[in-house]
Amino acid sequence: MILLGLLIVPLASGPLAFLLRKRRMMEAVNVTAFAILLGLAAVLVAQVLRRGPVSVLNGFFYADALSGLVVLLSAFAALACSVYAVGYFRHEERSGVLQEAEKTGGRFAIGKLREYYTLMPLLVFAMILVVLANNLGILWVAVEGTTLASVFLVMFYGRETSLEAAWKYAIIGGVGLSLALFGTILVYYSAYGALGTDTLAGLNWSVLAGKAAQFDKPTMRLAFILILLGYGTKAGIAPMHTWKPDAYSEAPIPGAAMLATGVLNCALYGLVRFYILSSKCLGAQFGSHLLILFGLLSIGVAVPFILVQKNFRRLLAYSSIDHSGIMVLALGFGGPLGMLGMLLHMTFHSITKPLLFFCAGNVQQELKTDLFRKTKGGLIHSMPLTGAAFLMVTLAVTGSPPFSFFQSEFTILRAGFSAGYFALAVIFTGFLVTIFSGFLVHIANLVLGEDPGLSRTKMCGWKKYSVVVLAAMIVIMGFWIPAPLFRLIQHAADIVMGGP
Amino acid sequence: MPFVPNPELGNRIITLMAALVLVLQIAGVGQRWIVSSIRIFAVQSFLLGGIAAVIGYFNQASHIYIAALLTIVLKAGVLPRLLERLVERIGIRREIEPLINVPLSILIAGGLTLLGYVVAESFYHPEETSARAALGHNTLAVAISLFLIGFFVMVNRRKALTQVLGLLSLENGLFLAAISLTYGMPLVVELGIFFDVLVAVMVLGILVFRIREAFDSMDVSKLRKLRE
Repeated sequence: MILLGLLIVPLASGPLAFLLRKRRMMEAVNVTAFAILLGLAAVLVAQVLRRGPVSVLNGFFYADALSGLVVLLSAFAALACSVYAVGYFRHEERSGVLQEAEKTGGRFAIGKLREYYTLMPLLVFAMILVVLANNLGILWVAVEGTTLASVFLVMFYGRETSLEAAWKYAIIGGVGLSLALFGTILVYYSAYGALGTDTLAGLNWSVLAGKAAQFDKPTMRLAFILILLGYGTKAGIAPMHTWKPDAYSEAPIPGAAMLATGVLNCALYGLVRFYILSSKCLGAQFGSHLLILFGLLSIGVAVPFILVQKNFRRLLAYSSIDHSGIMVLALGFGGPLGMLGMLLHMTFHSITKPLLFFCAGNVQQELKTDLFRKTKGGLIHSMPLTGAAFLMVTLAVTGSPPFSFFQSEFTILRAGFSAGYFALAVIFTGFLVTIFSGFLVHIANLVLGEDPGLSRTKMCGWKKYSVVVLAAMIVIMGFWIPAPLFRLIQHAADIVMGGP
Repeated sequence: MPFVPNPELGNRIITLMAALVLVLQIAGVGQRWIVSSIRIFAVQSFLLGGIAAVIGYFNQASHIYIAALLTIVLKAGVLPRLLERLVERIGIRREIEPLINVPLSILIAGGLTLLGYVVAESFYHPEETSARAALGHNTLAVAISLFLIGFFVMVNRRKALTQVLGLLSLENGLFLAAISLTYGMPLVVELGIFFDVLVAVMVLGILVFRIREAFDSMDVSKLRKLRE
């Protein structure tokens, strides 16, 4: 029942917002729906921890610890983004950006707000469906659904550049996902001998996982490569990452934060599900080498672009390419440490990344630019809270202690050494250090420095509290992870290792 | 005595139709008129629906009929109609400007077909002499060729709408692979995929329209503001 609830809440709240006429009502529906969603996700996690996998409708929807973790993270990111969105869009409306996008001639821009508050729940619905669908075909359909819902978010502002970004996103995403569909068909084909295909269950992950050892091996090999390319495109792994900086810098901030956390998690989730099948069928070695290659390549690609970046929204996108590379690399290093490292990283990433986007959004709304050269530095004087949070979250995402990314990246590094990839682990460390220094220099130049004499700005409560609460959580997570959450992550890591 | 269809006959019909689909795909590569590209796509989809129906008939797999019907209605009927209306609204007939000239493009398409056969070869297990394996072998080769040529079309064309057509023909290749390898995915999955394709075309259509409005052209090579 709870699985259905998780799907119905976002699915119902999108159309509901579409029917409403008042801004306040839409905001209330949006925030309430995502708060309920987070509550339901917590209940689901509690159930999974207590009683093991949950399923309904003859196993059509299925949730184990891995799905539970990803649902929880998605719901959390959705709630954080929806709270911030209230303040963000009110500010956009006051400064006339929305009216310009909607071409209302300066009047109230309800149409754009309705577009956002309708599309966002639908995007979240697709994300939850990705995670709860047991059938790998439905999983694909839902991932494609996330693309379709988010294309409109990317072209939200209707500028020429937004159209360009949306086009790239739709076409690259479409081609990438067609590769993933081909991979899914081939997995089905390779399972044909072991299962027969008459029933719906022929594509159910929980069924496939039990018999993966008997699959046709050559077909499975090709299938995994296609899946890696396909879902890798969606996760923004190099060299299929080119849509990411454009899409992230054109979408409205809450939408971009959602793409960078929820949608990224979904793509990686799809990849992990197939990785489990492939390592049961072909042994872990086959997938590992490919994953390490693509992971390290993504981190490497991000390095020069972070160093010379002129635009702080695009900087965030390259940071996201870097982080998805780290997670893929962790999966490739493998072993219990690698899996644990990957899932820890995913958890910290889903909590930290929204704050990074929110800070960038606050700065962009205040200075009306996202180019470094048009800023004068010294933001800490005019925006003390945002400035401090921006600096702190920059330290956090670049993996400096005491923040939690340090733990996950250290775990991944240990996984690399214990799996015997000494040279690669050293290269990985080198990349991380370079990214740390490049990123920090950019943000320190923006935030610190002499007071340029801008007037102190007042932030509305919605924006302020979303920043404060997330910042507090990041600090706390650096020292303490709630025991049930850690147990959940450990269970999920066992599943990725091929356990029950 | 119940009528048992002769699988050999079914195989021949399917192989013939698959060959036609491939010929149409290659013909599409050489097209200069956007409307005829759309019509070629419609006929190709119609044939694919036919292949699905034949496979369903000879293997007594009734759920494939639904997929066949949907293919014919949606991909041979609704989508081409939508695209043609879009072309009318934009008011441009002759839109295709390939990067590589037509004869060379067709040669490349031929090469990709060959590649498709080589890849499909690796799935062929001669020890499984069942009719199914033989059938899968030929149509899989065609499916992979469709997929590769679809890719090539997308890279080769600069106009937004023709890229969409490339994506659709690539999807046709996937459909052929799905029905010939496994007699179709489970029905819900097929339904989901059809729904996605339909929505994707609408989304892309809206995008094409807005790009055309904003840039006064559908040439995607003009989309080059976002650079490092």
